[in-house]
Amino acid sequence: MIHRESGLLKTSYQADMALYPLPIARWAVAAIAALAFLVVPLLLSDYYLSILNLVSVAIVGALGLNILVGYTGQVSIGHGAFMSVGAYTAANLATRLDAPFWISLPIGGLMAAAVGAVVGIPSLRIKGLYLAIATLAGQLIIEWTINHVTWISGGVQASIEVPRPRLFGMVISTQRQMYFFLLVFVVLAIVGVMNLMRTRVGRAFIAIRDQDIAAEIIGINIFRYKLLAFAISSFYAGVTGVLYTYYLGIANYEQFQITTSIDYLAMIIIGGLGSVLGSVLGAIFVTMLPIFLRITMETFGGLFFSSGAMLNIIPNLRLIVFGLLIIVFLVVEPEGLNRLWRNIRSYFRVWPFAY
Amino acid sequence: MFDWQFAALLLSNGILIGLMYSLIALGFVLVYKATDAINFAQGEFVMIAGFVVAVAITAYGAPLWLAVLVGLAGMIGFGFGLERVMLRKLIGRPVIAVVMATIGLAAILRGFGPMVWGAGTKSLALPIPEEPIILGPLFIPPIQLLGAAVSLLFLAACSWFFLRSRRGIAMRAVADNQQVAMAMGIDVERYFGLAWAMTGIVSALGGIVWGNLLGVDVQLSLVGLKVFPVVILGGLDSIPGAIVGGLIVGIVENMAAGYIDPYVGGGTKDFAPYVLMIIALMVRPYGIFGKAIIERI
Amino acid sequence: MRATLALLAAAALALGAVAPAAAAEIVIGAQCDRTGPTQTVGTNLCPGFNDYIKLVNMKGGVNGNTIRADEVDNEYKVPPAVESYERYKKEGAVTVSVYGTPQIYALTQKLTEDRIPGTSPGFGKAAAADGTKYPYIFPIAATYWSQAAAAVKYAKDQMGGSMKGKKIAYIFYDNPAGREPFPVLEELQKLEGFEMRTFAVPPPGVEMGAQVLDIAQRYRADFVISHLFGRSPSVAIKELKRVGYPLKKVVGFVWGAAEADVEAAGGYGVAEGYSALQFAGVGEDYPVIKEIKEMYKKEGKPEPKEMKESVYYNRGVFLAAIHVEAIRNALKAKPDGKITGVDAKAGFEKIKNFTLGGLVPPIEITPTDHEGGGLVQVWQVSGGKWVKRTDWFRAYPEVVGKVIKEAK
Repeated sequence: MIHRESGLLKTSYQADMALYPLPIARWAVAAIAALAFLVVPLLLSDYYLSILNLVSVAIVGALGLNILVGYTGQVSIGHGAFMSVGAYTAANLATRLDAPFWISLPIGGLMAAAVGAVVGIPSLRIKGLYLAIATLAGQLIIEWTINHVTWISGGVQASIEVPRPRLFGMVISTQRQMYFFLLVFVVLAIVGVMNLMRTRVGRAFIAIRDQDIAAEIIGINIFRYKLLAFAISSFYAGVTGVLYTYYLGIANYEQFQITTSIDYLAMIIIGGLGSVLGSVLGAIFVTMLPIFLRITMETFGGLFFSSGAMLNIIPNLRLIVFGLLIIVFLVVEPEGLNRLWRNIRSYFRVWPFAY
Repeated sequence: MFDWQFAALLLSNGILIGLMYSLIALGFVLVYKATDAINFAQGEFVMIAGFVVAVAITAYGAPLWLAVLVGLAGMIGFGFGLERVMLRKLIGRPVIAVVMATIGLAAILRGFGPMVWGAGTKSLALPIPEEPIILGPLFIPPIQLLGAAVSLLFLAACSWFFLRSRRGIAMRAVADNQQVAMAMGIDVERYFGLAWAMTGIVSALGGIVWGNLLGVDVQLSLVGLKVFPVVILGGLDSIPGAIVGGLIVGIVENMAAGYIDPYVGGGTKDFAPYVLMIIALMVRPYGIFGKAIIERI
Repeated sequence: MRATLALLAAAALALGAVAPAAAAEIVIGAQCDRTGPTQTVGTNLCPGFNDYIKLVNMKGGVNGNTIRADEVDNEYKVPPAVESYERYKKEGAVTVSVYGTPQIYALTQKLTEDRIPGTSPGFGKAAAADGTKYPYIFPIAATYWSQAAAAVKYAKDQMGGSMKGKKIAYIFYDNPAGREPFPVLEELQKLEGFEMRTFAVPPPGVEMGAQVLDIAQRYRADFVISHLFGRSPSVAIKELKRVGYPLKKVVGFVWGAAEADVEAAGGYGVAEGYSALQFAGVGEDYPVIKEIKEMYKKEGKPEPKEMKESVYYNRGVFLAAIHVEAIRNALKAKPDGKITGVDAKAGFEKIKNFTLGGLVPPIEITPTDHEGGGLVQVWQVSGGKWVKRTDWFRAYPEVVGKVIKEAK
């Protein structure tokens, strides 16, 4: 009853092809946008905004990885390395050439895209687990390169401090300003992926994931599209790296190691492979899990354990819960949070009727 | 002026360490061969096994033979249990599902170990001398010799098992074609369990040997990362391939550290095997001994 | 509908009420990782930190104010460190004890912008010793540059006072922290005329057979300077012993210097002769440690087992003590108790002659020198335990000073 899908007539191609053809969808998106842009920054304190900022960066990264793994079916464990390529490129541009962020960010992304395409070359010959391991090798090699080539990494420390981004003369440094800054990119990233998947390129990706040999037969040049998938996904990763660098004020390669790649894989698996909403939900979930766990343990853990023992347990528990959640989602709901959301939605679609 | 002595040293070190890598890779190969499952948690298995044995010795004062038995029994039980509880539900799912499941398992084990047994490093004392055995110009640490010997012994045992024993032949049948094996009356699920149990055994052996070499704590699980170059080079489903792959990785690592490191400022040792692996992936993806998979539409 | 609203309102009120109403309480942000690659350090250092704070509070706090140290474990990762830092800011922390080199790098800009002083003893950015360039970062203990200089001096003394033409092997963990000493080592190489070769041990640092073989058999170093962390120091000791290299020609930096490293290497018998730098005392023979033991005895509890790992435990005590001292100085300037990060920073810079009963060298922090002198001691494994070999000393201050000035 609430969710009316029938009786809506379109009179132009544009209206028919809109991203959100249903009025209820449009209202929902408007409400969320209002919440995100107006309500949240006014209500929440700096601390909560900082968490949201970390979540925003994660969303962009998860979207990128989902393009490659969820939509094109190529398993990649190299996401962290692409992020670091973007981060260091931007950091070098910012410090050596005094480039403002609106130059260093796209160039960082493009550099990461180029490297991503190179790492994706093996995908011509191998797939599945072998490709995953090849990307793992790519991750390690890129890490080593950044660690050792001081021209890239800015010295023995392998850390480059970047100045805060400036927009129209205003320095973006507080959490609130960062929040808006990052939110813009999150919106761009989401809209980008949604539109990408509606184009010919996106459909080619999905075809490769589903039946790559059949796709080749009907004329899709799978090598070219696989490389493109790697490139676009790495572009997103590079942008994530740059955003993260600007948020922290420093590019440090230790933030972009294998654990990061695995974290992002967990995000998209828990969230749902091959869906935009899944990437967002997964990113939020995985980023906030340790915080949530800590709060729970601090509130209730005192009942069971002494404080000394708790300090020892909490971080280990976090690892255990993380792993357990991955397995539970894989076994019980392989399509992730996205599927859970869709189930809820389809229930309300026909409510109050049963079917 | 080529320093033959040094080269010989590096070579011997490489061979011995390589065989120890093979021990861990064997666990991976066993599972993949029998069940098509990719175990990203191999290093963590070794770590847990090491913990069990070390804690049995230090905290409970058990004599070595008892601790080893406890470790073996524990890991066998763990293997069976794991297959039953988790992996059975993931049969038939795409590659990434099993991979992520084992990654999740690895995280669980990495948190479980230190939580239950404490974060300190435990030593796993074995009744072998600490001093190296000196054979001419070669320095051979006894623990590496033990590890290599265990590795080769296990290889021999596996070969006998797969070639001669009924159970082994049944497992090969299951690995080859599950449907037909089921049609012939082989209980596929039980053999899956057996495969994981065998991985448990070899992990226990690996845990004992590596635990003595490095000390037992959560970092022990990092040896698991070495598995990948070894099995890619040797072939994911080949047991002799694991041995050969291990040898290659061990030798390449040591040669790189000895001869390339001084020119590039160090660190090549870790990623030289990965570069080799990428080349192998481009040229011969299934490894030296692996079985080529032919895709049909 | 009304019931739900009422319930939500009640919940909100309850949550609000739970927020601590801390009257005279001063908050220190204590980041301390008991898990992750440095867990052997954290599991012993963090209890030391907490025990000292407990001791101070038991004695009535600082000028009547209780100190609250909020310990958080970041698993040596950066995003949780940033999040916990923001949380400390929210709670009104006046100082933050940062744990981990990548973490202090990530937080440097934030600490400076938010004007909250952060400490990074024995790790972190060595250039932060310069208080004018990094006003809110306090190494408060020998940085890797000072440690490198001290190691070279010790090596020189052990080799009879001259290093000309001798071969030094520098084995290090292949990450930025491990490579940080290079500028100092290169300067000293020019100054003292020794030959040096570096041997990188890639993370995780558990396998270094080839490097050790090279040091012992091919390069045949006269002395080994080792800068390793986590598991690698103990592995290095074992490996060097295995190839027959005399451990008395090896000196390690401060994070390869603990009882845990010796035990993991196989015991004191195996590690005999191995020396290492310390920036805090070793063992339990210090007044403040005895006081903590008394405190536990009064509570009827056994003393914490982490005390046995005295190297890290004592460092935790020292770390807490120097934070308390800074707060004490800040309160002297502002007796009303309402101090902020800026006051705490000034408090740090007033620290003079701080020895904590001999546990640490006399530390003096000034607005230009946030390192406090860079003094270390050398302890050696001898006869089944750690034995003090030298007194507190600082080496080549001009060289270190020059490198600090030239740092970007």
